[in-house]
Amino acid sequence: MRATPDFLKEGSRTETAPILVASGLTRQVGFDHETLTILDDVSFQLAHGSTLAIVGASGSGKSTLLGLLAGLDTPSQGEVSVAGQSLNGLDEDGRARLRAESVGFVFQSFQLLPALSALDNVALPLELNGHKDARREAAALLERVGLASRLQHRPKELSGGEQQRVALARAFVTRPKLLFADEPTGNLDTQTGERIIELLFSLNAEAGTTLVLVTHDERLARRCGARLRLAAGKVIEREGV
Amino acid sequence: MRGWGIAWRWLKRDLAAGELTVMAVALVVAIAAMSSVGFFTDRVHQALQTEANQLLAADLVLNADQPPAATLSEQAQQRGLQLARTATFPSMAQTAQGAQLITAKAVSSSYPLRGELRVWQGEREVRMPGPPKAGEAWADRRLFDALGLKPGDSLQLGERTLTLSAVLAREPDGAMDLYNFVPRLMFNEADLAATGLIQPGSRVRYRLLLAGEGEAVSAMRDALKPQLQRGQRLEDVREARPEINTSLNRAERFLRLAALISVFMAAAAIALAARRYVERHLDAVALLRTLGRSQNDIVQLFLRQYALLAVGSVLLGLLLGWLTQFALAAALASLFEARLPPAGPLPALAGAGVGLTLLFGFCLPPLLRLRGVSPLRVLRRDATPPGNAPLALGLGLASLAGLIFWQAGDTTLATLALAGMAGTVGVAALVAWGLVWISPKLPMLHSVGWRFGLANVARRRGLSVAQIVALSLGLMALMLLTVVRNDLLSAWDKSLPPEAPNRFVINIQPEQRSELAARFQAEGLAVPRFAPMVRARLNAIAGKPVKPDNYADERARRQAEREFNLSWGEDLRADNRIVTGKPLNDAEPGWSMEEGMAQRLGVKVGDTLTFDIAGTAYTAPVVSLRKVDWDSFRVNFFVVGSRVLLENQPASFVSSFHLPADKSSLGTALARQFPNLTVIDVSAILAEVRMVLDRVLAAIEVVFAFSLLAGIAVLYAATLATHDERKREAAILRTLGASRQTVRQAASAELLLVGGLAGLLAAGAALAIGAAASWQLFELSAGVSWWLLPAGLLLGALAARLAAAPLLNRLLNTPPLRALR
Repeated sequence: MRATPDFLKEGSRTETAPILVASGLTRQVGFDHETLTILDDVSFQLAHGSTLAIVGASGSGKSTLLGLLAGLDTPSQGEVSVAGQSLNGLDEDGRARLRAESVGFVFQSFQLLPALSALDNVALPLELNGHKDARREAAALLERVGLASRLQHRPKELSGGEQQRVALARAFVTRPKLLFADEPTGNLDTQTGERIIELLFSLNAEAGTTLVLVTHDERLARRCGARLRLAAGKVIEREGV
Repeated sequence: MRGWGIAWRWLKRDLAAGELTVMAVALVVAIAAMSSVGFFTDRVHQALQTEANQLLAADLVLNADQPPAATLSEQAQQRGLQLARTATFPSMAQTAQGAQLITAKAVSSSYPLRGELRVWQGEREVRMPGPPKAGEAWADRRLFDALGLKPGDSLQLGERTLTLSAVLAREPDGAMDLYNFVPRLMFNEADLAATGLIQPGSRVRYRLLLAGEGEAVSAMRDALKPQLQRGQRLEDVREARPEINTSLNRAERFLRLAALISVFMAAAAIALAARRYVERHLDAVALLRTLGRSQNDIVQLFLRQYALLAVGSVLLGLLLGWLTQFALAAALASLFEARLPPAGPLPALAGAGVGLTLLFGFCLPPLLRLRGVSPLRVLRRDATPPGNAPLALGLGLASLAGLIFWQAGDTTLATLALAGMAGTVGVAALVAWGLVWISPKLPMLHSVGWRFGLANVARRRGLSVAQIVALSLGLMALMLLTVVRNDLLSAWDKSLPPEAPNRFVINIQPEQRSELAARFQAEGLAVPRFAPMVRARLNAIAGKPVKPDNYADERARRQAEREFNLSWGEDLRADNRIVTGKPLNDAEPGWSMEEGMAQRLGVKVGDTLTFDIAGTAYTAPVVSLRKVDWDSFRVNFFVVGSRVLLENQPASFVSSFHLPADKSSLGTALARQFPNLTVIDVSAILAEVRMVLDRVLAAIEVVFAFSLLAGIAVLYAATLATHDERKREAAILRTLGASRQTVRQAASAELLLVGGLAGLLAAGAALAIGAAASWQLFELSAGVSWWLLPAGLLLGALAARLAAAPLLNRLLNTPPLRALR
């Protein structure tokens, strides 16, 4: 791996207020005249720079919780605050603005735009923010994740591991305060997955980002400072949070 | 994987999940559009035929020089046909004031079977329920004027005295008697025998008029043909009058063009829908492959699904088409005096056939792509099967070509339509690729949404090309209809301008020309052109004597029998065009013949023609064949000779001119001043022809409106084609913090660019094809409507954006998480 780009190093933060607060989060869906509760009364707080693993079996509500925390979906009850800002008081565009300013994402299925090159994919969030030097910074970060020679390649021309590295670069390029990672190694083989995790934690440490990681991999969960275990939508165990 | 059961379950599931909705809707809309246009044009066509038949006063006429045998009437009655009889002959009408040559027409009480009789009441035309009663007669104004008569006066026709009860304004088959130069007197056939005018050797033209349901009429026509005797001929609207025939041919071609346009749109819609369907099933197919299903199993499964879908869509589409044509017909009822006849079953069969051909022609190639789906896709979603663009293009074009040739039934029209389509596809593809090259060099807009959207067109080059091609085809079809329609309208207007000649004067003696010219000048009118006319009989073609029996074609036989009117010194006017050969040279003996006549008589350029003029034979080669626009109502000749041949022959002159309404008495004044002249008033004929043309135009406008609806359906399908990708893209953009405005801008920019480009291309292609079509089909050189280019750009951009509006709203209102899952 290459040297950390300068702008990532500025990231160490000293705020003391929690960066993420979830209180009484509940998500219900209507299904054939029945209401199904897929997340039930989840509350916790997360300090700046900390790392949290949300663990649980498939269908336990992990990804639903992540979506609510990131403002990608709205809760049936309860509230989420990111960097002191309640998501409930924001409309969809307001939440999008907050995401643009403070939040990064890494998905299990990478979610790269297929028509865009690796460079364009990474530069995209900066461009959305009206950043002047988007492509230069994107290129620097791609170099940092070891893809300097693949800048112009499109996602389908990259391996799964490479695609996830592009996704990591895209997540960190805006220097988010908060990074959400949803099963980031779920689509990768063990060896590639481990490399991605190393890269994720190392970038995270360099930038001082708060990390919320959804995984069912216990080993990976143990690398995080705090753990929240879900079963059937309920928190059944918490550690350090 | 056996049986239809699985296919049926998959189909139900896909339909329920909305996976096939787009395809089914596209198919139903396409079939509905096709069949309703088919049903409707079938009915309109039949109605037009009925309208045009008003010029015959019947659907079918047996024209004979002897009274038709009573058995023929019985045959017609057995077939359930209505009958009427007319007998027309020249005679003299006498009153105390004088005598006048007239054409007498005895009609049966059932006359006319089509169209209507109108008489003047003061200055108003009034429709009459039937012909004059026994003992009465109606005469046209010329006879009243010539003999100084008024309604209620009597006149003597042969041995019978008739009361002139009305001034005849219009008789439906009046137009048939274009060369009926003398005033008309119409009376009831009950009085015919009493006139004592029908004697052996009398020049009487008998017409047996027949009308009824289309099938009965055709059956009667078929039955009559072998029974025809010498001196008998059948007339229907197609054979009766050259200019009516031309109008009907134009109308028919235009309606076919409108139907062809629906074929284009259907093809575009189905191709887009099929592509999307297959794209969305790649995962399922990969899974089936991993479960051990063979490539053939999979293709069969989908083929069966398509077949089931086709049955449902065809039934639904036909039902919708059938219902739609009822609504159309109801809206149109007031336009047609005649009731629209019921549609035949053929459009339904054609609609189903077209639907099925389109479905399989355009669905099969994407379907065959499924054979190439690798089971690996289960692990790597980006493992997409290779494309089969050449096959898709080839099969699609072949299906379209087959359909177009079938629908058009006309090689020129079909070839033009195909060439236009292939050209548009090629150019659209080239231009789209060009855009990929240019787009990074375009000045970048400040807004990230616009920039992203515009760049997307280049990034998604394959999809962009497909979309532009599909959109431009649909738009081209619509614009073609606009351009060609305008050309047609203006062509008709041009061919029948308000200043079209409305009087013919014949039998002008050479020395009367200067006096006539002076009379015109005195009236403040332009002096018309006097065309010389020499009576001649065609004796031989290429040395072989001309005998009526040499020809099977009835018209050719007639022409071989009768005298020709030859002319000379005729410049090649705008309504004459040499199709083969060279212009006549004044000093070299030669003939120029009208091409239709040449074809009937078997005359080619270079053949010699021998004409007998006043007892002397004149032989000269045919140097050219001409096309004559009979719609112009100007004096035209079937055969024109060079000056050296005809200049010194005894000739009379003929002229045509436009007499404004306020000078209409000049016609009669001329006849009084020059008693030998015959002045023919053709205003009534013109009015009738124009009325028929107006009906034709009204029908075309309705068909045009319907094609427009079909175009909107295609536009929606084109937008759906990129919806999935755009949806996912929007979700990622929103996840990354893009505002709704940015996402909307990105999508809008892309749609506007794709739509604008498609519109521009479509306009260019439509202009090119329209110009070619108006020249090739309608023999008109229409001006190029350059305004269509910017209009096309704008229309395409707006249409694409508006068509996408509901989808775009749905896309913006979906929470990003749901879209990403």
